[in-house]
Amino acid sequence: MKIAYSHLIGCINENPTVDEMSDRLFQLGHEHEIYNNIFDMEFTPNRGDCLSVNGLLRDLGVFYTINSNKDIYQEAIDKLSIDFENLSKEVCPKISFLKLEIDKLPEIYCGDLKNYFSDLGINTNNFFTDISNYLSYETGQPTHCYDANKINSKIIFEEIQYENEFETLLDKNISLKEKNAVFLQNNKVINLAGVVGGKSTCCSDETKTVIVECAFFNPESIIGKSVKYDIQSEAAHKFERGVDPECHDDVLRRFVKIASEHAVIKSLSLVTHNYQDKARHKILIDIKKINQIIGIDISKDKYISHLSKLGFDIDGLFINVPSYRSDVKTQNDLAEEVARVIGYNNIPSTEIKIPKNISQYDKGIENKIRSFLLDQGFYEVINSPFVNLKNNNCIKVDNPLDSNRRYLRTNITSSLVENLLFNERRQKDSVKLFEISDIYSSNNGIHKQRNLALIASGRVGLNYEDFSLKINEKYLMNLFKKIFPDQIFNFQAVSRNDLDTKNKSEILSLELGVEDFSKNILEYDAVSKPPIDFIQYKPISELPSSFKDISYSIKDYNKAEELQELILGFEHKILNNIFIFDYFKNEKQNEIKIGFRFIFQSRDKTLTSIQIDKVLNDIISKSLKISGIEIPGYNLD
Amino acid sequence: MSSYKDITSPELIKDIGSLHPINNMKDSIMDLLASIGFEIVDGPEIETEEFNFDMLNIKKSHPARQMHDTFYVEGKSNLLRTHTSPVQIRGMLEKKPPLAFISGGKVYRKDDDATHLPMFHQVEGIYVDENVSFAQLKDLIYKIIHSLFGNDVELRFRPSYFPFTEPSAEVDILSKDGKWLEILGCGLVNPIVLENCNIDSNKYSGLAFGLGIERIAMLKHGVKDIREFYKSNLDFLSQFK
Repeated sequence: MKIAYSHLIGCINENPTVDEMSDRLFQLGHEHEIYNNIFDMEFTPNRGDCLSVNGLLRDLGVFYTINSNKDIYQEAIDKLSIDFENLSKEVCPKISFLKLEIDKLPEIYCGDLKNYFSDLGINTNNFFTDISNYLSYETGQPTHCYDANKINSKIIFEEIQYENEFETLLDKNISLKEKNAVFLQNNKVINLAGVVGGKSTCCSDETKTVIVECAFFNPESIIGKSVKYDIQSEAAHKFERGVDPECHDDVLRRFVKIASEHAVIKSLSLVTHNYQDKARHKILIDIKKINQIIGIDISKDKYISHLSKLGFDIDGLFINVPSYRSDVKTQNDLAEEVARVIGYNNIPSTEIKIPKNISQYDKGIENKIRSFLLDQGFYEVINSPFVNLKNNNCIKVDNPLDSNRRYLRTNITSSLVENLLFNERRQKDSVKLFEISDIYSSNNGIHKQRNLALIASGRVGLNYEDFSLKINEKYLMNLFKKIFPDQIFNFQAVSRNDLDTKNKSEILSLELGVEDFSKNILEYDAVSKPPIDFIQYKPISELPSSFKDISYSIKDYNKAEELQELILGFEHKILNNIFIFDYFKNEKQNEIKIGFRFIFQSRDKTLTSIQIDKVLNDIISKSLKISGIEIPGYNLD
Repeated sequence: MSSYKDITSPELIKDIGSLHPINNMKDSIMDLLASIGFEIVDGPEIETEEFNFDMLNIKKSHPARQMHDTFYVEGKSNLLRTHTSPVQIRGMLEKKPPLAFISGGKVYRKDDDATHLPMFHQVEGIYVDENVSFAQLKDLIYKIIHSLFGNDVELRFRPSYFPFTEPSAEVDILSKDGKWLEILGCGLVNPIVLENCNIDSNKYSGLAFGLGIERIAMLKHGVKDIREFYKSNLDFLSQFK
């Protein structure tokens, strides 16, 4: 909700700046952003009472002297005789109607009404609807305006449970379904209560006699209606959060006052139907409890002083809760009010000492396997459980975000296959992935199993010993024998026939319940450790990478180390990675052969061979300055 | 005869993988809390409305329960948990105070953009004992935030609203560019929730807190788009060794 700083400051004696007021609002728990001296407020759902200028001023009264200068009509008002019947009093326990006739419609607005539309850049509608909208902003109470000439028979309020068609004043036709609180005239819906009025009875630019409806609706009856019928409704937003049941007289008298500032009032009458005399909520004064909840030690005087700043008053042994604070019901609620006045940041912290628990959660086997897989070059992934493939016993999501993914996966391997193909498309020729996740299925109830799955394809690794080795079943068997000496694992070959890929490397996978792994795990000293410092992630390129290989022949062994240092330390913005993929020492011929692979990739453009060759030539020319080193077949000229 | 210094082979760089950065972040937060005294508990991702909402004082009419916010499964008989709090409810029903639980794991909400995903991770904790206060909660939150962001980080507590805590707070840290960033939600356990778990709220009080792991990981690692975490891209994952 947008509230202009100028509309608040006009009622505050101390004249705080926008930034000072902003700090105070944060202390009170009112999150916001500021644009052009307008507070864009995001109130928590329990604070419906703050959804107005007056509501926010009530809270700011904790810090400032509030001088509300909003005049209301003070004269006696005749009782309105209106043919109205309430058939759902529990949904609408209080309702008032004001009938007002003016001599002529104003050409321009003045005072608060003018400022509201100009300061917030809001479009006007018609005179009475404009007053209604402004009053909702000023007081927090939505009202609805009927053109009195269109109300020609009995109005009935009822929570109906039958289907009905309704045309809103915004020209939208909606089919009402299930329970809806409505106003009816001649069995036709003229108003979806608390949400939006109807076309047939709304005010127009010609309306000079209005019937203003001011009601308290049970929030439970309004909640969800604006979403259900896709109607943006500020009124519903307020009714859903609860309005002040005691404000009707003041709000309608303020309506009259604003109308009288723009036109001559020709006739005026008002009636209130109160079906439920609701006593104000009282809470026992219990300073000890409040001090215990917050962890402070304040006196009764201080306690009462804090609460009185928020409009609470004392009634003997009790705190009287203001009618607009329907959210305050318990000692914990009062504690929060006191803490807000003190300021959460000003409450000193007290050292917490939790008795150490004995039973520590043991992820034993799971963490051992994770650690082991990491050391074998496997990367842990996490996949979404939503899939499009319906398997036996899979669980169906009633309301999926994407209708193509309306089932929960019954295995992890299918997700890993997708991950593998994704990385192969990014020129990765060694892919080793694993995931541990709960998997759910439905068969006479919901069943959960914690699975570990892995997938591997391509080169065993990128170092010169593993580079030419391909991942196969034997490799994986030998790997797992290192820690599970007595368990036989059934690695599955995943066929590429149905996969969208031209890659021919064998794909192997394994999926097993964590519980199904043998408890006989050989002690294993992990090499990899979680990072100590938090790594700053470098954005990755979505563009294709290219690689180039250079093989050197080194006759002078002393120069081998120098060459490695030079090559592996070479840096360029398009050079993504360098590693030694081949190494061979031929003692007989007194020669070392060493192969380097260079991976090129740019973040912002696809690289051309000219750009790559330029960098490569630079590397070659620098490396060949080392004596006793040559690139077989490479001509320096 | 010429003599030469033989060299060893080039260093054989073993290809080591990495833990997923979200799991790694979750584990490090859980380890910290376990060292303070919290017991780690686990629970199902498919929950009932009773445990996910009712027991936590989230009323039938609360917007979070609508179909547009929560994933329901199997003809609305169950749902994908929207937070890890139901695990703590189960814990409180099983054990008597004093108790201190943490639970971490996947949770689901119907969101999908650069900062929200339908699946994300939370770590939540609860401590119930006699005379647990907001002042103690503040101490705990300072410990958590300082361990994550260093002792010099500036933080602020703001009043907020959660149906299961009262008073409730949100905690922000001040970023290097002067902006306040929301880090976690916390509060004193609403006595209604304690009573729902058969705990005498006149004798016991509790504190509770919850952190979104992705949000913390994005801040710590400088990841701008939450979706990066779940592409399973080796160029991304290999940065977190």
